Amino acid sequence: MDDQICPRCKTSKYRKPSMKLMVNVCGHALCEACVDLLFLKGAGSCLECNVPLRRCNFRVQLFEDPMVEKEVDIRRRVLRDFNKREEDFNTLREYNDYLEEVESIVYNLTNNIDIIATNKKIEQYKKDNRDTIMRNKSKVSRDELEIERLIEMEKAHEEIRRKECLKLEEEEKKKKIRAKEALIDELMFSSADARNILETFAQNAKEEVKAQAPVPKATQFSTGIGFGMQQQSGFLPLPKVDEGVPFIYSAMEIETDGPEPPHWHDIEKTGYVKNVRSETDQERAGGYQANIACLRALQEALLGLYHVAERTELGL
Amino acid sequence: MEDKTKRYEKVEFLGEGQFATVYKARDIHNDNIVAVKKIKLGSRAEAKDGINRTALREVKLLQELKHPNIINLMDVFGHKSNVSLVFDFMDTDLEVIIKDNSIVLTPAHIKAYVLMTLQGLEYLHMNWILHRDLKPNNLLVNSNGILKIGDFGLAKFFGSPNRIYTHQVVTRWYRSPELLFGARIYGTGVDMWAVGCILAELLLRVPFLPGESDLDQLTRIFQALGTPTEVVWPGMEALPDYIQFKSFPGTPFRHIFTAASDDLLELLENLLSLYPLKRCTCEKALKMAYFSNKPYPSPGSQLPLPSSIQPNVGVNKPTLKRKLMDSLEGVSQPKRLIF
Repeated sequence: MDDQICPRCKTSKYRKPSMKLMVNVCGHALCEACVDLLFLKGAGSCLECNVPLRRCNFRVQLFEDPMVEKEVDIRRRVLRDFNKREEDFNTLREYNDYLEEVESIVYNLTNNIDIIATNKKIEQYKKDNRDTIMRNKSKVSRDELEIERLIEMEKAHEEIRRKECLKLEEEEKKKKIRAKEALIDELMFSSADARNILETFAQNAKEEVKAQAPVPKATQFSTGIGFGMQQQSGFLPLPKVDEGVPFIYSAMEIETDGPEPPHWHDIEKTGYVKNVRSETDQERAGGYQANIACLRALQEALLGLYHVAERTELGL
Repeated sequence: MEDKTKRYEKVEFLGEGQFATVYKARDIHNDNIVAVKKIKLGSRAEAKDGINRTALREVKLLQELKHPNIINLMDVFGHKSNVSLVFDFMDTDLEVIIKDNSIVLTPAHIKAYVLMTLQGLEYLHMNWILHRDLKPNNLLVNSNGILKIGDFGLAKFFGSPNRIYTHQVVTRWYRSPELLFGARIYGTGVDMWAVGCILAELLLRVPFLPGESDLDQLTRIFQALGTPTEVVWPGMEALPDYIQFKSFPGTPFRHIFTAASDDLLELLENLLSLYPLKRCTCEKALKMAYFSNKPYPSPGSQLPLPSSIQPNVGVNKPTLKRKLMDSLEGVSQPKRLIF
């Protein structure tokens, strides 16, 4: 938008952010200040195409492209007269032809093709269809009707839903009371263990809660238009999270089949470490420690001391 | 001994690696689907040295390992000069899952994968075995959503005080800084680093540190985590291939992993600690709050599978062509023009 420049005073949106460009029927833009200055008397001609313009026809430019602006304006004007609807035609073919004709008129006017002939055509059409145009103007447009119908429907739905909710609540309350009464009855007259009865009732209540159907998630407006990005979301759906079991560490046991090797702190305390070559700096930097070798040697020495091959033969 | 070559019936060809071809096969004893890895022996000259070292490692280690999150070696048999290993059949691997854009990995899914990886790895480390080639491609997942650590071609016992190891292990992107600096004796830290990279990759859905060379790998590590000093990593300068690096300040994890929770970042920071001895062990990692906090790890049945192996592949949407055909059929009445 920043490169909008008034063709007359060369003010740009960048230099004067408050500048507003205005357009008239011809589609050529002017800034607000220039419009005030040039059309002081209320009428004048366009600087670019000399078309006579009236001041009251100037509008703020909504679209960046003045051609679009012009087209929108022309379309609005043309459609005011060409307001026939599908029902006014016998066949779909005729209606489609009519729509095509409207489009070509709009196109011609926008692009200055055969303006005189086109205007004549419009006049002719107006004359021929005066009755229909008047009638259709008085009718509320079909779109509006449709919207009204939808609003009506929504209201009705709302009412039904509200009633249903109330009914459900009522029923829920009744059910609770009934359950309570049943429990008391059971406790009074049954010979079973009171605790058992209480437990079965609690169980039943829990199950009932579970059995209630989950409310379907709303994915549509009342008009039937889906909201949110349901299908075309850019991310993969997150898989359903199912909790696993918490992990609790338990130390691993090795079957040594022999006496338990001494722990490192025992070896250290009793001073046996002196007999073990301690690691050099280089070895330590590489991640080696003398205790690794010492412990392994001790474990290996004791490994399998209790092992007896083929116990069964010895009668053990 | 029965002829085992007849016991397994080839179903289809699955893939070919550097040292082996893998087939999907059916065990005719119990109709189970298995994976048969046939070790390539190649030409006479190659076969001269005997069976491939990686295959030997795999057989020797896996025969004694049994854990739900470790690939199960069910059978080994030889035929002529070939050796074949029979494994559980695994439908896919983590790399496929990470790369499949149609899969959404929720925090619970990620937690489940990391949890299974760490549990399998803890078992390995308890048995003094380093895997040394952890990467998404080697974390196999079956249709029940169970993750198993596979490919033990580089695995090795650790904890010998005087054995020299090669540092040319682990696919570069998952290689820890001490390996890149040429450490010849190392510990479980190398595997933990790889788990950290895998966790980061699960979050980002792209490799976290895709270095193009060993030097570029270190640069990327230090750009993300900050260049270590002798204070942060004592003895670093004594490592064989140590090079002075430009000092990078590092990027806070919170800025890289914007959607990750605090407890996850804590775990990640511990896994990707530059100093190997400060890197957490499996046990420490599993005890961290991340695993006991909500969301709880997804059960296996909930874990996603790539669309290629999902059973409902056949139900496809109507194609555009089909739609066009439909609309052509329905044009008997003239259309109303709408202006």
